[in-house]
Amino acid sequence: MEVTFKDVTLSYDGKREILHHLNFTIPEGTLVSILGPSGCGKSTTLMMISGLLAPTSGQIFFGDQDVTKKDALARKVGMVFQNYALYPHLSVLDNIEFPLKMAKVSKKDRKKKAIELAKLVHIDDQLDKKPGALSGGQQQRVAIARALAKEPSLLLLDEPLSNLDARLRIEMRQEIRRIQQETGVTTIFVTHDQDEALHISDHIMVLNQGHIQQFSSAETLYDNPSNLFVAQFIGEPVINTLDITDFAGELDGQIDADILQRTQKVGIRPEALQDHNTVANTLATITTKVTRSEKYGREKNALLEFHGQRLLTTEVQADVTDGQELPLYLQRNGVYLFDKDGVRIFGGDQDA
Amino acid sequence: MKLKVAMVLRYVILILGAAIMLMPFLWMLSTSLKTQPETVKIPPIWIPKHLLFSNYVNALKEAPFVQYFINSVIVTTVTTLGQLFTSILAAFAFSRLNFYGKNILFVIFLGTMMVPGEMLIIPNFVTLSKMHLINTYGALIIPWLASFFTVFTLRQTFQSVPDQIYYAAKIDGASDWHYLWHVLVPISKSTITAVTVLQVIGSWNAFMWPLIVTNTEKLRTLPVGLQAFTSDAGTNYAWLMAASTFVIFPMVVLYIFLQKYIIAGISKTGLKG
Repeated sequence: MEVTFKDVTLSYDGKREILHHLNFTIPEGTLVSILGPSGCGKSTTLMMISGLLAPTSGQIFFGDQDVTKKDALARKVGMVFQNYALYPHLSVLDNIEFPLKMAKVSKKDRKKKAIELAKLVHIDDQLDKKPGALSGGQQQRVAIARALAKEPSLLLLDEPLSNLDARLRIEMRQEIRRIQQETGVTTIFVTHDQDEALHISDHIMVLNQGHIQQFSSAETLYDNPSNLFVAQFIGEPVINTLDITDFAGELDGQIDADILQRTQKVGIRPEALQDHNTVANTLATITTKVTRSEKYGREKNALLEFHGQRLLTTEVQADVTDGQELPLYLQRNGVYLFDKDGVRIFGGDQDA
Repeated sequence: MKLKVAMVLRYVILILGAAIMLMPFLWMLSTSLKTQPETVKIPPIWIPKHLLFSNYVNALKEAPFVQYFINSVIVTTVTTLGQLFTSILAAFAFSRLNFYGKNILFVIFLGTMMVPGEMLIIPNFVTLSKMHLINTYGALIIPWLASFFTVFTLRQTFQSVPDQIYYAAKIDGASDWHYLWHVLVPISKSTITAVTVLQVIGSWNAFMWPLIVTNTEKLRTLPVGLQAFTSDAGTNYAWLMAASTFVIFPMVVLYIFLQKYIIAGISKTGLKG
């Protein structure tokens, strides 16, 4: 089911706005992540999609149908919660059957359907256990099966992986992706973890303070961040951010004077600072001093000082010693300029 | 060494305490099987020569204990179930629903818990007599169909159930009614059992109220019946103790089976003893 928000605003007590004029469309059959720091309104957005929370103003459409006034039941969504919210007194099978029981499906049919779903999520060997006897990952599988039981129009997942340990998280996110592709259900996934969002989704919506910052593919978010917030939020290690005043004319001549005039912040991806001039893509050369270099596994980072500011690079190939001077080539495709409102005015695809 | 002494001391005190608590029960049991002269013998004997089970038969013959028993069962069952039903609904409303004046109402109800029960006997009696309910089962049951103590206890438990379970149930298509009876109540089973047991014991042992609102033999509950029997049986302690055993027997059985919940209930609420 395609989901459309038209100018949706939510405020508590009619005063404090939590979400401001959201406009977006989630295409049918895709897996979309809503990504943002805690308190940005992402779970609230999901609650409004589910129908558990009504918007203060604006309209919500499922396909062509206006569902703004409809409750959770009428919208037929399935939802998975962070703490799984399984019914502790019911067995795994009964948990999966619960929505079907509510929908008055016959006993035989609902059992068949529940077992089918249990197989899909690979939990069919635990059907008689109570949720308390399952591991976190298994509980999550049950929760997904339960959410899928009534063949929902949408599958909503609210931070479904944050209670799992790191290894299991990776396994489960692949599982969610697999289940989504097998069922083809439009899925909306809320997370604060960019890694999760980047790996799992077709599209990512970045939210901050109740505003949509950017809604695009993971690649576009990284290559063409629409503003400083997205540039800083997406990417690990975090992008280097400097004031334009930290540069002493290094960028002059390379970038239009008009753009430089309007620039306030400069973002440089750590991989755009190279100590070797390989590609003919160099924007500028800057001279830095190595403060510390570290190596763990295949990662190699160097902390640098540049006009009194700290920079981080992942692209130092030569063996360097701390305190050494190091000229670096600034790669054009990892440098972004932002104006005083944080809007990107240089870097990436100019028209993206 | 010091630890051992403390341990021994602890057990000695506990055993002494238990013995003191058990003494009256054992005396009751043993007396209920004694002959008339044995009951007044000094020094008292603990094990009668012949176990006189006929005391039970005679005691039950002497007064309509079976009728009392039935009355007690009816009153206890209806009061407990009724009170549970109203309390579950009220607790759900206070914990989950939003309505005008919810908090004020809650504080007022909480205030009623601070009024001693004895103070309510007269006003309740007057109300019931105006409703012409004196000397009916209604008098024994209706005033106890609501208990804010139970509402309060259940509300605390209901509130501890995560919101997400409620949302999940809503998404799964459950109405509030369905969520309450098929999710919330089963989840809160242990607290509900605890308040039920406390209520059953309270109802079963209730004395003052049934004594006041009934004056026909037909409506007497066991404790009232036993009191009446005391004056009828006079000093026949054997019969008296046989009847007493008969009265407390169901509660002892209940206690043995449900002591886990009773202890949990009392420690959880810390309000009733």
